[in-house]
Amino acid sequence: MTRPLFVPVILGTPRHGRMSEHAAKAVWSEVAKRPGVDTDLVDIAKLAIPVDDAGEEAKDPHFAELVNRADALILVVPEYNHGYPGLLKHVLDTNLKEYIHKAVGVVGVSAGVFGGARAIQNLIPVLRELGLVTIYWDVNFTSVRRRFDDSGNLVDDSFLALDKFLDELLWMAETLRYGRENVTIGGPG
Amino acid sequence: MTRPAMTCAKCGTEMNHQADKLVQPTTGEEAATVGPTLDGLLERVFACPGCGWIDSRRESGDS
Repeated sequence: MTRPLFVPVILGTPRHGRMSEHAAKAVWSEVAKRPGVDTDLVDIAKLAIPVDDAGEEAKDPHFAELVNRADALILVVPEYNHGYPGLLKHVLDTNLKEYIHKAVGVVGVSAGVFGGARAIQNLIPVLRELGLVTIYWDVNFTSVRRRFDDSGNLVDDSFLALDKFLDELLWMAETLRYGRENVTIGGPG
Repeated sequence: MTRPAMTCAKCGTEMNHQADKLVQPTTGEEAATVGPTLDGLLERVFACPGCGWIDSRRESGDS
């Protein structure tokens, strides 16, 4: 493969005091260790996206170009009242063609024992409609306030399954890149 | 059948027509082109085998 895979990590909440930032940085550092993979950390709080418009009119050109270049996305998603953050949905909705036939993995974060599992289940139909291809591995940061020290260092990585999650995501990213660039819709002929 | 074609704006390579996605019209002009069969527009999506760039164009869903 001549070009490295590009797999940015998207921090999916703008809230002050977000523990998801620690989770996103932990995941991002693991992605960066993978050979043949480039990554970036995107904070949706820093995107120039208006909240009173949608679609092409609301696009942040730098974010759109980053997603266009991406082979897969990793969404770090806290669970708020069993749902995903509203701003994350708004940000995702500003693009479409950039997502189609690309892999996505979701990292759930919560203060409780479910690790964002309910937010992930709610988000999956949205990702499908955007044309993204979900994988069957998730990462669940359960009891997130006990997983990091005050400096944001991960102190307990039990049950995170991050390596298996990345193995599957990168396989899907590489496979879908081949498909996007070489397999024509409608079959051969 | 003639396949849709597009040239990459970044590197000039002939792009691969990789997807047709049903989308809803966002303007009155687009809404006027919606046909009865799919009740929407087709976003025809292309990927560049040379540099990976993604581009698209919208067409009537019944074209």
